[in-house]
Amino acid sequence: MEIKTQRENGILIANVNGRVDSANAREFENVLSSAISDDDTCVVVDFGGLSYISSSGLRVILLVAKSLRNRNAEFALCSLSGPIGEVFKISGFDKIISIYDSQAEACAALGG
Amino acid sequence: MKVKRSLCIASDLSELDRLHDAVAELGEVGDWPPDLVYQVDLVLEELIVNTMNYGYDDDASHEIEITLISDEDVFTVEIIDDGHAFNPLDDAPEPDLDSGIEDRPIGGLGIHLMRVMMDDVHYRREENKNHLTLIKRRNG
Repeated sequence: MEIKTQRENGILIANVNGRVDSANAREFENVLSSAISDDDTCVVVDFGGLSYISSSGLRVILLVAKSLRNRNAEFALCSLSGPIGEVFKISGFDKIISIYDSQAEACAALGG
Repeated sequence: MKVKRSLCIASDLSELDRLHDAVAELGEVGDWPPDLVYQVDLVLEELIVNTMNYGYDDDASHEIEITLISDEDVFTVEIIDDGHAFNPLDDAPEPDLDSGIEDRPIGGLGIHLMRVMMDDVHYRREENKNHLTLIKRRNG
């Protein structure tokens, strides 16, 4: 698992590659949380390079989403593959987190 | 063609890679669709990690036996562990899928994913061990 971040037009974009499972979810949490600074008001996590995520990874996404919501920052996910989108849907996360087909759509929606 | 793989893993998260590799290998051998292999892989991880986290009172290492069977139209996973009696079909609370983001509880999704993604789940307690069978059909 690897996370690459960049900032474009005031949006922090985190590209996640590889696999997130119970064995590395803690690392995923640490890397993602420390990539987001307190000044970031818009955060997009791009799952285009993610090949696998289990509920341990969903837990991290929910924690991040809650913490951003608490300080009124915007948060979105994008580029989920078919089976990963299915996991988010079955878990009911599509109702509480904005999910877009592409990074461009996510950034446009967050006002970038 | 029926192909079977048996693994005995320790109750430690470092064993997950070996488990994922075995599922992927059998998925290829049996020419299973990647989406289906993903679901089997995911549900297996959810259950095994559940057992590792909540199944034991002591800190000792326990063995978990896993058998993967790829048959023509059925992918079967059997899990045997010596943890507390736990029937995931009856003993797990329904998850909260409707609360807003502030109130949404963290966790509790693994068993729900199993219920939705598998076509059949059978549980029995025998000789102080949990025996769980997960069934995924090619055209389920």
